Amino acid sequence: MSAIFKPSANFFARFSLVLVATVLGGGLLGLWGYFRTPYAQGLQEEIAQPILFDHRHHVVDDLIDCRYCHFNAERGASAGIPSTEMCLNCHAQIWNKSPKLEPVRRSYFTGAPIEWNRVHQLPDFTYFNHSIHVSKGIGCVSCHGRIDQMPAVTKVASLQMSWCLECHRNPAPNLRPRDQITSMTWQPPDDPAAAKTLAADLMKTYDVHSRVSCTTCHR
Amino acid sequence: MTPPATAAVPADPLAPMPLIAGHPSDAQLNTELLAPIFGPTPQAWKMMVGMAAMGTGLLFLGLTVTIARGIGMWGNNQPVGWAYDIINFVWWIGIGHAGTLISAILLLFQQKWRTSINRFAEAMTIFAVMQAAMFPLVHTGRPWFAIYWLFPYPSTMGVWPNFKSPLIWDVFAVSTYFTISLLFWYLGLIPDLATLRDTAKKKSQRIAYGIFALGWKGSSRHWQHYRIGYLILAGISTPLVLSVHSIVSFDFAVSLLPGWHTTIFPPYFVAGAVFGGFAMVLTLVIPARKAFRFENVITNRHLENMAKVMLVTSMIVGYGYLMENFIAWYCGNPYEAYLFFKTRPFGHYAAIYWIMLACNVLVPQTFWWKKARTNVAWLWVASILVGLGMWAERFVIIVISLSRDFLPSSWGNYAPTWVDWCIFVGTLSFFSLLFLLFLRFVPSVAVAEVKELNHEMQHEKAHAGEHA
Amino acid sequence: MPSMKSLPVIQDEPRAPGHRSLWQSVEELEARAAVSRGEFAAGAAEVPPELSRRSFMQILGASAALGGLAACQPPREKIVPFVHEPPEDRPGKRFHYATALSFDGYATGLLVGAADGRPVKVEGNPAHPASLGASSTWEQGALLDLYDPERARGIWRKGQPLSWRGFLAEIQQLAKVHDADGGARLAFLLAPDASPTQADLLRRIQARFPKARFHAWAPITEENAAEGARIAFGRPLDARPSLDAARAILSLDADFLSGHGESLRLTREFARHREPGAGMNRLYVAEPAMSLTGANADHRFRMRGTEVASFARAVAVKLGVVPIAPALSPELALAAKAVAADLSANRGRSLVLAGARQPPAVHALAHAMNAALGNVGVTVTYSRPVLGEAAPSAASLPALAKEIQAGKVDTLVITAWNPAHAAPAGLDFGALLAKVPNAVYHSIREDETSRRCSWRVAASHPFESWGDGRSRGGVASLVQPLIAPLYESVSTIDLLASFLGQGDRGAMQHVKAYWMARSAIDPAFFEPQWERWLRQGVVPGTAEASETALVDVAAVASSLGRLSLPKGDGVELAFAPSYGLFDGRFGTNAWLQELPDPITKVSWDNAAYLSEATAKRLGVADGQVATLALGNRSVQAPLKVMPGHADDAVTLALGYGRSDGSAVSKGVGVDAYPLRDAGAWFAPGLSVKAGKGKHKFAIAQGHFGMEGRPLALDFTSEKWGHAEGGGELEHLRGMPATLQVPVDYSKQEYSWGMSVDLSRCTGCNGCVIACQEENNIATVGKEQVAKGRIMHWIRTDRYFSGPAADPETITQPVMCQQCETAPCEYVCPVNATVHSEEGLNEMVYNRCVGTRYCSNNCPYKVRRFNFLNWRPEVPNVQTLLFNPDVTVRSRGVMEKCTYCVQRIEGARIDARAGGKKIGFVQTACQQACPAEAIVFGNLNDPQSRVRKLHDDARRYDLLHELGTRPRTAYLVKIRNPNPELA
Repeated sequence: MSAIFKPSANFFARFSLVLVATVLGGGLLGLWGYFRTPYAQGLQEEIAQPILFDHRHHVVDDLIDCRYCHFNAERGASAGIPSTEMCLNCHAQIWNKSPKLEPVRRSYFTGAPIEWNRVHQLPDFTYFNHSIHVSKGIGCVSCHGRIDQMPAVTKVASLQMSWCLECHRNPAPNLRPRDQITSMTWQPPDDPAAAKTLAADLMKTYDVHSRVSCTTCHR
Repeated sequence: MTPPATAAVPADPLAPMPLIAGHPSDAQLNTELLAPIFGPTPQAWKMMVGMAAMGTGLLFLGLTVTIARGIGMWGNNQPVGWAYDIINFVWWIGIGHAGTLISAILLLFQQKWRTSINRFAEAMTIFAVMQAAMFPLVHTGRPWFAIYWLFPYPSTMGVWPNFKSPLIWDVFAVSTYFTISLLFWYLGLIPDLATLRDTAKKKSQRIAYGIFALGWKGSSRHWQHYRIGYLILAGISTPLVLSVHSIVSFDFAVSLLPGWHTTIFPPYFVAGAVFGGFAMVLTLVIPARKAFRFENVITNRHLENMAKVMLVTSMIVGYGYLMENFIAWYCGNPYEAYLFFKTRPFGHYAAIYWIMLACNVLVPQTFWWKKARTNVAWLWVASILVGLGMWAERFVIIVISLSRDFLPSSWGNYAPTWVDWCIFVGTLSFFSLLFLLFLRFVPSVAVAEVKELNHEMQHEKAHAGEHA
Repeated sequence: MPSMKSLPVIQDEPRAPGHRSLWQSVEELEARAAVSRGEFAAGAAEVPPELSRRSFMQILGASAALGGLAACQPPREKIVPFVHEPPEDRPGKRFHYATALSFDGYATGLLVGAADGRPVKVEGNPAHPASLGASSTWEQGALLDLYDPERARGIWRKGQPLSWRGFLAEIQQLAKVHDADGGARLAFLLAPDASPTQADLLRRIQARFPKARFHAWAPITEENAAEGARIAFGRPLDARPSLDAARAILSLDADFLSGHGESLRLTREFARHREPGAGMNRLYVAEPAMSLTGANADHRFRMRGTEVASFARAVAVKLGVVPIAPALSPELALAAKAVAADLSANRGRSLVLAGARQPPAVHALAHAMNAALGNVGVTVTYSRPVLGEAAPSAASLPALAKEIQAGKVDTLVITAWNPAHAAPAGLDFGALLAKVPNAVYHSIREDETSRRCSWRVAASHPFESWGDGRSRGGVASLVQPLIAPLYESVSTIDLLASFLGQGDRGAMQHVKAYWMARSAIDPAFFEPQWERWLRQGVVPGTAEASETALVDVAAVASSLGRLSLPKGDGVELAFAPSYGLFDGRFGTNAWLQELPDPITKVSWDNAAYLSEATAKRLGVADGQVATLALGNRSVQAPLKVMPGHADDAVTLALGYGRSDGSAVSKGVGVDAYPLRDAGAWFAPGLSVKAGKGKHKFAIAQGHFGMEGRPLALDFTSEKWGHAEGGGELEHLRGMPATLQVPVDYSKQEYSWGMSVDLSRCTGCNGCVIACQEENNIATVGKEQVAKGRIMHWIRTDRYFSGPAADPETITQPVMCQQCETAPCEYVCPVNATVHSEEGLNEMVYNRCVGTRYCSNNCPYKVRRFNFLNWRPEVPNVQTLLFNPDVTVRSRGVMEKCTYCVQRIEGARIDARAGGKKIGFVQTACQQACPAEAIVFGNLNDPQSRVRKLHDDARRYDLLHELGTRPRTAYLVKIRNPNPELA
């Protein structure tokens, strides 16, 4: 009887083996890679806000310190989002006719709060506390990036656990003097030796520990 | 060499009962052994498949309910955190063992009598392991995370699994075991698939079998590679027979619970596994060989040998029980003593304990007598009893130990719910379903090997004079 | 009243106007069902585990959902800042406010912690004499009541909703009508309350309506005590025991370690003197059923409630207080002799206490004995009654009933709790209420009574309203609200003020005005005082001065003579307040319903308790449902054999078997009120007939024996001497032999540890509810408790030893022992439970996959698994209850005690952010414990109390031989039996 398979079948056989291997291997690798892409981490993602608030302007042009609005960053877990009232501290005088600020005025007079969209979103089982990081010499820019260059705030750090652990396992390189906390431009000394010594005595003076117990963040 | 068994033929009382009755030709063997595949679909088979399918439905109902609502749908509680889930897991894994033992170890020891039953055994192994492998996953509270964290990809957390935990060892042991068994089974199938391809009438069948036959031509080169591969796999899977169930036994042995914290567990679990496995082979083979008229390739001698293996392993298991109790007494640990001499024999679940002893220790003792070993009906009943006994053993180890541990304040009993039963019955049905399909679509006896054995025997016969 | 604008949370379950327990349409029924499920979600009656129609859809979607769960991103959250920032706002910071909670008239000072404007944790106020920083299950439980989604809301008249203003107008009309006849047809049925402001308002109401009647009523009263004092001293006086100096204490059926009022203070004083040594006190208890106090007695004499009088008398005779010894069984006579000897041996340092259930004569006799023993002024003082007019009387309800029958009442204002349900047997008060044209029922929940009243006024929760109160002994506290009323509701003061046409003045104004007037401080300078009182939680200089009182022995003797002694045969029924629900007012509180009874460990139930011998004699068995009949009244109740119960007596707890109320309370247990005469505690001639069927109890601890294992250890005081010398505990502590190199924690700055003193622990369960509140622990319902799935992180194990008829009891709180070599850790496949460098056994919920291996391998079985989602749907209002510092666990996750790690980490951050060291951290259980039995702290600090206790001679480790090296150390219990009775 005639053969059911032509010799070409051999090729298909071998090819299918290769295919299976690549799909399995590539799948894992792809997954591994995908979660490291800015897209999967939601970086550089423009998030629409109810008000076109421009940090560039407030930080660079007006030289307003972060802590004027985010008053709670040094005292509490949450940095705090300014109340409508606080916006109007200035905007009652300046730009008080600007249509851009209409939603602010409306909120003030109706008493309906402004609903901002959260940019840096941690899972509920992760307890982050601003005050301790600030007091141990971690700058705003370390996690939030160059806010002073952002028309609209976007996420610059993955906020994935491994990212947190990088610093928690070895805080030294990320420390800065407390008076430079809100600085967007501060850099450690170029000379690596100097940088090392600075980091070392910041570790000492601020009594910084590497804290990697689970309950440091998960309770 | 095969143990001498006195034949039923009065002529020569010392001649061993033949492994293949009569002097069939290859063609005869082909037609005979492939009949189930090419023959018409038996009504009984259809009915059984139907029932098995319905039972499998129960399994999926049980699993969906569990995943949708949580482990609370089972009877598990504080303190009995594990129950039917892990009982079934250990039981099925155990059953899986006979397959590898028969096909690999007996092969290496050149036990010819394995030839006509190894295919059954291997299939059974794979299907049993499939049942077992399900439980480590579904017994967790959040299976979706379990997969994710045991194979920690995409690994964005900088945290790895805990390699100190026996559950992790299980994951690796079971998956390895399954892979190897599958390959071993498939490799063995290839020549037969080729035979099927060549003897099939329908084109569809020929293509289907042809694909799986991987272009087997039966050339000497093929045979050579085949042999090497088969031996290598046999070599790899032999240690697995010992390792897998040892590791499963670690789940208990490394804990500090009275009744779990026992150093004898690894050998005793392996023996128990082989014991239960052979029982299951018998439970399956006996009806199958009747249905498909394989009596002259799966002769009573096969059954008898399996009975002997069961007798031996049963005594090892019995020794295990004995040792457990001895140590419980000898170590003078009050918690151990309470469990072994109060809870187990007289406690809330005493009945199950005594069933275990009766089925696993007493029943096989009948196999000292040839009458019992060759009485097919009794063999079948006994094999089922042993299966039951081995299930009871896991119940005794898991549930009873958990229900009475250190602090009397936290003692509590366990009762299964309808979901527990659905899943248990479901796995049995799913297993049967797979096995029925196997019987119908895959040569359930290793045709090529039987033919080979047949030739060897004919040859021996022919040249008997010369060697004399 | 703008402050009462309801928060959005009340919109979460629609209610048809005038809707009551009766439903008018299927939709409505389902709406209610939904509400109930919400209630379950709060973890109440039942988490329905079986398949319902709606859950089937869930299941169909399940597999799809799984894929989703793994992949999809969480929805983007909103940030909603204030429009006007409150000045003190500190997002996420916890503020504590001093307030007080009045319970049957007497206030206990509290510090309530509020997170972002919502109360989330109740603590005792250390500055308050009745709390001393501790809190009981009931104060803790009050928080759950606040967020109960089934609370009454709004004001209703004949099923029509009324606005507050509308209500005021209506009341004005009524008042005018009653002005005509001076309020002759106006009556008040009031809950007992020592609130001065309320008393003042009532005086003014009385002034406006001279003929109006005021009845103070509660199902459980202390009239006997008051009457006893009247007999002994000729005038009503409050007796205030003080256990600090007491060395020999005789409790005549007085359960002073539980109950309300001063149990917290008394427990502390009692526990402080339970350590071995000269100062150790000795407690004798004579009582029918085993009470919490009885369980802690050095000698407990079980006898029927009515026999206590004879026993007391026998003791008194030996003390030479009264003549004529009564007939007593020889062993009781012997006991009485020994007790008397011990009491007089401790002249001036002994104390005799009579229980509220005992007849006045016994109270009088107790006073006489204390006087004779020279205890007055040392272990007991007397002062003017704090409740005074407001003292409840059981007779007041029948009296009022008569008036109603006679049609003398047009308007009845009820603030008392649920009279229709708790009315004495044979008095169908509910039916009578229908006869009153204007029955105004002011209650926090709709219940049997509200259904029958033409007016329903939702009451504000104490945490929502202004007010004041007085503790026993008279110390006054101000009650300030922590949150605006969640539902449209009215405080008692506002309600009463409305009868003076001042309803819209606001409760705060009334309270402030009263205190301004009373303190007679110049208004200009009053504000700072007021602020200080609010901050401290107590008003200085308000305690009642103790008075000298002379006992009229003759009167006492004659009252004893009049006392009718029980007939020898027949079974006696004793009523008792329930440890969970008191008189039933906590019936809707899932925490307290699920809390196991401290003695029998029965949860979600009450039962007819009786002794094994009695059960045999009556031919009934444990768990059997029986008919309890007194004359022609009867109830069906499940029987439970209680070790140590008096023979020929049956005890039935009040407060269960509600016919109405919420999904939680309905149909749980047996209603005892239909058997109870007004104010009656003991009823002779009970018939017990075994009925059909067995009752399934949900018992949290099924096995009461220790099987001879060294678990909860105790020594008698003299044996302890040798034991300590002989180092009998050496093999139960210290480093066990091990092959592995132990981790060295001594280098760490902090190394957390705990110690539990079994000598101090009374088993009151305060820690259990405190823990439940602090750690967002779910309740699971009766069915699940019966299945063995109760979620409490800390449990009080209770073991009996000795003869079952009259056993010794020991209670042992068990929480996660934080083993240094934890068996749970190495078996977890995903590293969900690991060890911190400070020695904590950490549980990471978000990492857990729920293999339950850790729980199987935990020898203490302190791990709890979320077998189901205990909170299928949490009503919005209940989300306010959650402690924001603790993750709310979902199903499939293991959980356990963490030593309140959120408190440790909180303290760490506060301290280190300020460059300081962690100071004082308390766990929730420790803070609540009135006995100071639980101590937590840093083991590496040689000065810390916990370090000292770990080095104490009485220290031992639970299951030491397993080598788990627990961080929780136990201190053996020391009993102090009387050698004469040994």
